[in-house]
Amino acid sequence: MDGARGGVDRVFAALGDGGRRSLIEAVATRGTATATELAAELPVTRQAVAKQLTSLADAGLLRATRAGRETRYEVTPAPLEQAVEWMVSVGAAWDERLAALRDSLARKA
Amino acid sequence: MDVEREIIVPEAPDEVWEALIEPARLEEWFATEVELDARPGGEGVFRWGDGDERHAVVRELEETERLVLDWDDGGSVAIELEPVVEGTLVRVVESSPEFAPALELRGLALEAPAAKPPTPGEKTAPPEAALAWTALAAA
Repeated sequence: MDGARGGVDRVFAALGDGGRRSLIEAVATRGTATATELAAELPVTRQAVAKQLTSLADAGLLRATRAGRETRYEVTPAPLEQAVEWMVSVGAAWDERLAALRDSLARKA
Repeated sequence: MDVEREIIVPEAPDEVWEALIEPARLEEWFATEVELDARPGGEGVFRWGDGDERHAVVRELEETERLVLDWDDGGSVAIELEPVVEGTLVRVVESSPEFAPALELRGLALEAPAAKPPTPGEKTAPPEAALAWTALAAA
């Protein structure tokens, strides 16, 4: 039952880092963004931004499309939905466990 | 943001408590295989039939009242027992540091404009994001 978590581990790893989280927020706020656009307004180099954007795209959190010489990114909601589904599955697992606890106690009585 | 569940069972808290701390009893409802050193700082290993395995440390233990386990992935679970007229109210609260950002980002992703061209000089990052960026740049 807790195995449901396996599929979203990479999403959580990506979200666990404050910088990457901010990057997703910045892309989400704009709709779409390139490394150059984001670096122009933030205190980091274009290279640092590009590297993080690539790893977020690898984790499936951003979708990359080529736009001339730049890569344009947008947020993909699906992996985040999976993260929410994981929360739902944690709740469902507890429903099952508590029902099993109730049955176990009833057998002892 | 936590996952919370409650159930009321007819047994008294001390009877329910045994089912929370004795490995053989835990194997009847919590996991397939359980090792648990039920004292503060004691370690626990929980294995499920699907191959999943979670390790925990007992953070708090108040007999017949409250058991808190810290999972090695940063999350925790608190199980509290409260005597009620019908028996015992069992309340479970499972927390994970990842729950809140997952929900928050999902909200942002759903609200994101489909394809908005950047406006020069437009402010794109809230102040807290800028702070986190500084941390990223230093890394």
